[in-house]
Parts: sequence; structure tokens; C-alpha cells
Amino acid sequence: MDIASPDLLKAERATGDAIVRDPTGLHARPAVKLTKLAKQFEAEVRVRAGAGDDWVNAKSPNRVMKLKARQGETVAFEAEGRDAADAVRALVALVERNFDE
Amino acid sequence: MPGHVAIVIVSHSALVAEGAADMVREMVGDEVRVAFCGGNPEGGLGTNVAAIKAAIERVYTPAGVALLVDLGGAETNSEMAIELLPEAWQAQVVICNAPIVEGAVMAATEAAGGSALAVVQATAEELSP
Amino acid sequence: MSPERAARLLDAAVAAIREHADELTALDQAIGDGDHGLNMRRGFDAIAATREEVIALPLGQALQKAGMALVMKVGGASGPLYGSLLMSMGKVAAEAPADPQGLTAMLAEGVEAVKRRGKSDAGEKTMLDVLVPALGALRAGAADDLSADELIARVRAAADDGLARTRDMKATKGRASYLGERSIGHLDPGARSSALLITAVCGVLAEEG
Repeated sequence: MDIASPDLLKAERATGDAIVRDPTGLHARPAVKLTKLAKQFEAEVRVRAGAGDDWVNAKSPNRVMKLKARQGETVAFEAEGRDAADAVRALVALVERNFDE
Repeated sequence: MPGHVAIVIVSHSALVAEGAADMVREMVGDEVRVAFCGGNPEGGLGTNVAAIKAAIERVYTPAGVALLVDLGGAETNSEMAIELLPEAWQAQVVICNAPIVEGAVMAATEAAGGSALAVVQATAEELSP
Repeated sequence: MSPERAARLLDAAVAAIREHADELTALDQAIGDGDHGLNMRRGFDAIAATREEVIALPLGQALQKAGMALVMKVGGASGPLYGSLLMSMGKVAAEAPADPQGLTAMLAEGVEAVKRRGKSDAGEKTMLDVLVPALGALRAGAADDLSADELIARVRAAADDGLARTRDMKATKGRASYLGERSIGHLDPGARSSALLITAVCGVLAEEG
């Protein structure tokens, strides 16, 4: 692998995580807000609740609605694409603000 | 640029229809237009073509309209209502094969993200494999 | 079609439904949600309310107008089905058919529309179990060049026979299908209302000689 390859430099990747604050965990309304926010970004965004769980598409209402994250658990994001860093930053902030609930 | 896809909820029960619309508004917000109808002309359980047609007309947008229905008669009456719309509109109005409440929420969530009608319908229908 | 004849047909159909509304309700209470009689009466009352206008129209427009009234007023599953029956017949027959072959073509169109709308066919314990045999009798009788009286009698008999056969069928469509085996032993309400309407039409045509 050539580290200096232009393609590698162009593909922005970002990761981040946040702790779920809501006593009821990640429930339906926050899930909807998460999806709506993720859709605002060009980047592919994935999210997972537990470290052992599969990554799911953060822009899919069905997938995100099925995530189970209890209060105190960590939700992780990874994104790929031009605005990946912005996407992760915004999503982490949303979780940390407790989804503005 | 067309706006968001609109949602129409058709239930045999006026209460269910209104409640589902309330849930959509609560969870998704006001940016997606939602119309609802339910019950027969006497106020009992059932669906009626005139009410469905009026509901679609209230929120129709060239971006498209996704209908969520409960049991069989709601679907048949909805099909009839669509056929009574102006011909140019009909292709932009679809009936989703999805559970009515969850489907409405999923469809509205997808619509709020600016997705096209086909994507909105597909998202709702993921609930009914 | 003369307004007088149109009036006789319309009045007979409306009367048949009004007179038997309670029976239709009872049948529907057994295997449905109990509103077929009420729904059909509401729809046919709506047609009766526009009687003067409807009977003055050419047949095609009259059927479409009556069909639309049923769609808007009958409700339940029957509204779209009966509405589609009349509206589609009205679309293919601008004027009254000149002969039994023309009438066959018109009714065939109506039956196809009901099948499409209800995603159904004969054998599923619905109004189609009367309409399909009645159409068959009409088509066969027209091909055999029967006299008007004979043709009318055959169609009426086919409708009655089709209705009777629904008793032992198991419902696979509509509300009755949720009853499964328990729907057996009861006539289908939609089949009954169809048979009533066919009988009413046949009665008027037979009287005219």
C-alpha cells in the first residue's frame, strides 16, 4: 500500500462516540433525529450500539430504530466521505446534548 | 426543487388515524405534511373513498404522496380514491405495504430527509418483508 | 334507452335493495361486520336521490353517475366493487346495447372490473359467484340465439344458483375470510345483493316482453 497515494488522501474517514444520557436509552424519537441528522451529510455514516454489534447505516430509519443502547452505554459512529468529520462531529454532539429532548 | 414527500394515513378508525398522525408529528416534526382520515360517514369503523381523496388532495405535492393503510378495505378504497385524482397526479401517489403506525413514522422520517417517493415507500415496506 | 325504461330499471334496483336491506344486514352479521345492508341502502338511496337526472342520461353516463354514487356512499368493501361494476359498464356502453351480444360484452367488462378491484375471482364466496355464472348464462344464451324470455330466465336461474352455491363455500376474501371454516353454511351477503339486482333487472326486462 502506498501511503502517499492520492486516493487514500482524498477519502476522509472519521470516527467518534458518545455516551447515551437518556434514562430510557436510545428510543424511537431520538432514533428519528439521529437518522434525520445523518441524512444531511454526503458521507456514508454507520452507527453501532455495542462494541460487539454490527455497524448499521445511520441514515436508515429502520436500522437505527432497532439499535438497543441503554443509558450509560456508548454509541459509536464511523463515516467515510467528503464531510465525514463534520458528520461524526454533529452526531456525537447530538447524542451528548441528549437529542435536545 | 420539490418539497418533501407527503404522508396520508387511512385507518378504519378515525382515532387510530389521528393518533398515528400525532405520533408522526411528535417524532418527525412539521416539515413533512401529514393528512389522515378514518371511519365511515356515520362515524363508525370503516373507510370511505371521498374522505381518502380529500385527504390526498389536502397534502398533494409533485414530490409524491405515500399512503399508509390498515386492513383490506382501506387499501381498496384508497386505490379507488387514487383513480379519481387528476390523471397527472396518479403516478405520484402510492400505497405502502406496511403496518400503519410504524410505516407512517418510518415513511415520514425518510421523507424528512428529502428522499424520493420510491425510497420513502421502500423504507416503510422494509417493515413488512 | 328511453327514460321510462331507465326509470323502471332504476326503481326496481333501488326497491330490491331497500326491501331486502335487513336481510343483507343479517347475512353480513353472520360472516361480516354487519353493515352490508346499511351500506347498500345508503348507496341506492343516493342513486334514487338523483333519479330524474340519471334516467335522462344516455345509458353510459347514467351508469357512470350511478356507479360514482355507489363509490362515494356505499362504503365498506362493496362501494368500490359495485361502483367499479357500473362505472366500467358505463364506459364501454355509451348507449344501451342493441342485442344480447352487446349486453354480454358490457357485463363482461363490468365483471372484469370487479375482479380487478377486488383482486378476486369466482369460487371465493363473493358477489362474483353470482356475477360470473350470470354472465356465463348470458353469453351462452346469446350465442344460442335464445328468445328474450328464455335468456332472461336462464340468467336469473344462474344468479340464483350461484347464490345458493356460496352457502357451502369457505370465504377467502374480505372480512368473512377471518372466519375460515365458520363462514361455511352462510350465504354471502355480496352474492345476495348481486342476485337481488340481477333479478330486479331481469324482472323489468321480462315485463317489457
